[in-house]
Amino acid sequence: MKELVSILDGNTFLVSDRRGDVEPSLDFPTGLFAFDTRFLSTWLLLIDGERLHALSIDDAESHRTRYFLVPGEPTHFLDAKVSVIRSRAISGDLSEELTVLNHSGQEMSFTVRMEMASDFADIFEIKDTQRKKGHNTAAPGENSLRLTYRRDAFHRETTITSSAAAQVDRRGMTFPIMIGPHGEWTTRLTVNVVIYGARGQDVRSLLPFAGSRTTAAIEAEHAEFVARAPKLGCDCEPMAGAYRRSLTDLAALRYESIALGVRLMAAGLPWFMTLFGRDSIFTSLQVLPFVPELIPPTLTMLAGLQGHRVDDFRDEEPGKILHELRYGESAGFEEQPHSPYYGAADSTALFVILLDEYERWTGDVELVKRLEFSVRAALTWIDTYGDLLGTGYVWYQTRNPKIGLENQCWKDSWDAICYSDGRLPSFPRATCELQGYAYDAKLRGARLARLCWNDPVYADRLEREAAELKERFNRDFWLPDKEYYALALDSDGSPVDALTSNIGHLLWSGIVDDSRAQRVAEHLLGPRLFSGWGVRTLADDQGRYNPIGYHVGTVWPFDNSIIAWGLWKYGLREEAGRICESMFAASRYFFGRLPEAFAGYERDLTDYPVEYPTACSPQAWSAGTPLLLLRVMLGLEPQGEHLIIDPYVPAGMGRVELLDIPGRWGRVDALGRSRDEGPRRPD
Amino acid sequence: MTEATQQFFATLPARAPEVLRTPVAGTLRIDLSEGHRTEHWLVRMRPGAVEVDQGVEPGDATWYCGADLFERLVTGRAQAISAVLRNESTFRGDVVLFLAFRLFFPSAPGTRDPREVAREHARWTR
Repeated sequence: MKELVSILDGNTFLVSDRRGDVEPSLDFPTGLFAFDTRFLSTWLLLIDGERLHALSIDDAESHRTRYFLVPGEPTHFLDAKVSVIRSRAISGDLSEELTVLNHSGQEMSFTVRMEMASDFADIFEIKDTQRKKGHNTAAPGENSLRLTYRRDAFHRETTITSSAAAQVDRRGMTFPIMIGPHGEWTTRLTVNVVIYGARGQDVRSLLPFAGSRTTAAIEAEHAEFVARAPKLGCDCEPMAGAYRRSLTDLAALRYESIALGVRLMAAGLPWFMTLFGRDSIFTSLQVLPFVPELIPPTLTMLAGLQGHRVDDFRDEEPGKILHELRYGESAGFEEQPHSPYYGAADSTALFVILLDEYERWTGDVELVKRLEFSVRAALTWIDTYGDLLGTGYVWYQTRNPKIGLENQCWKDSWDAICYSDGRLPSFPRATCELQGYAYDAKLRGARLARLCWNDPVYADRLEREAAELKERFNRDFWLPDKEYYALALDSDGSPVDALTSNIGHLLWSGIVDDSRAQRVAEHLLGPRLFSGWGVRTLADDQGRYNPIGYHVGTVWPFDNSIIAWGLWKYGLREEAGRICESMFAASRYFFGRLPEAFAGYERDLTDYPVEYPTACSPQAWSAGTPLLLLRVMLGLEPQGEHLIIDPYVPAGMGRVELLDIPGRWGRVDALGRSRDEGPRRPD
Repeated sequence: MTEATQQFFATLPARAPEVLRTPVAGTLRIDLSEGHRTEHWLVRMRPGAVEVDQGVEPGDATWYCGADLFERLVTGRAQAISAVLRNESTFRGDVVLFLAFRLFFPSAPGTRDPREVAREHARWTR
């Protein structure tokens, strides 16, 4: 795969090759996308009929890039008489400043050509755009080209305008130019995208942030986001780099929802630039100690879209929290179920967990009161529709067999849930971490009921149910001969016995019996699961293990951050520290930007972590990972009105200092230091 | 307007205590069009209560919808958010009101309880 360059602002993004060109691609979403629609599928520059070659790229900022180019293929003696600079930025719309420089002492003439087209593909149909049901038109105007797509009332439009005079045809713009000796020529191309809504207006113009801001405004906003976050001072350079990169990426991944007009976090570029229940909740849990203001809009949005009826197409049930919301054509015309889709059996419990965690940090009782009904409905879902078989566990089975998700847990690929020998279990399935989340949600729901809703009877009931669930779970899921928890129960109630990273999520939820925590940790950090770069999704001696299998052998940074949190909860600080160390070490190889997943190869084998071939990057819950790991190392835990700081910094990491941690206590500082170095003597 | 739509609006006040449990407050105007005719319904919502009226006064939000689509929504044969995404129906103003109002729409006719379906096939139930 050719290396690609991406820029983004919220859920508008552009993926091009290293020359800045976009050509129709069937295997990867290249082009300009906004709200799940591709608005440019061809954007290709020619000088005198020739393609250009990249000399260098400046992509230090997430929302803009500069390409330095020369015509033709590079030869040994690069003696270009002409070079080209493409300077582009995304700020709701796309703008590109195209400059041609004449390096010779004579006047030169060139024909500059930009090929332009849009297939208006939905992100779900880029692999097959031939079957689109609507129709495209291209209308050349004065220095402008308008591309439109209509299907019934569904209407999208891309308008490209040039600041310099252009000969416009239906497939692009041509600029016959003359440039004086050592002179230059420039045009600014602006690409406007329009999503038509009520009364023929652009939907985004009705939003408070109005979709498009200047690049200066974006930069100011990003700077403010980073400035509000706590300041990290540390001896460990990879940690400092990862923290900086994470804050930048989290700032860039925020987008404005068409549906609610609030700022939400997109899950990952390029496939997941939208709201996911699970991703947004896990990201929120990771970043809560740093940027708590991100959480209320996420919770409010998820509550506003909570399931209310039984809808087989969308796997919707009353009280369920959504899995995925999309805005494109396939969602609108019900060719895909994302309006929203509810095929997740974990997001409902996680919703309750996040609200409780948020209140512990911020003391925002008002939000807990506002969401009381939604939380009660979520807790009710766990015991009613969630417990498909009436056995006291949360199960899943899609009712949309054609396009619904088979696996409705975070490992949602088709083969992720398997027995040790590689067989696939029957449906419905009850994966172990779903039970852990349900247990935690009940306990946290009980705390909220007592603290904020004045309902001790309900709280007692939830606590009793949680205790019963824990007892039942430790009986039915524990594999005495293997000494770990089964990945799942199949529809017969038999354990699905693969050894997986899911047992780490059990530690995080607290459902693990104290007597078994040490054994679980030994598995997580043992050679079968731990690669040296992190905990693998599936142990390397299992039937389906594949070091580059999406959920059957790769290492996921987000997964590891939750596991580290779980180990810490059970007091296993050294083990948690080893995961922190391995993740920060891995982040160095990605310039601080942890990808969605990397290969499960042994650390000794590859010397560096091998990126999963089509990993999303940046991805929100990978960007959130360094933040949660910092919390784990510093041992940050709210207690009443105070923040407990109980650091355990792994050997060799030196000093870690986090200043201005926000919360109900105002702002406080935390300081930790590796034990090997001991306390510094006072001067 | 069809009988289903009339009946739907008529039952809203009685259903509100059960359906509208979240802290929502405001007036949603629903413009139902059929050919060149448009009916304007006003739905004033607050927690546990709804008042239904007809009139053209502006609400906190306006939802434009064909009478035919609306009938499909109130009988569970269409889904409101996808209709907005495909621009068959449009909306402006406070979206919270729209999200709250959609809670009154029923499941599709003939939808079965997923638990009942799952328990027919699984061998392990209590």
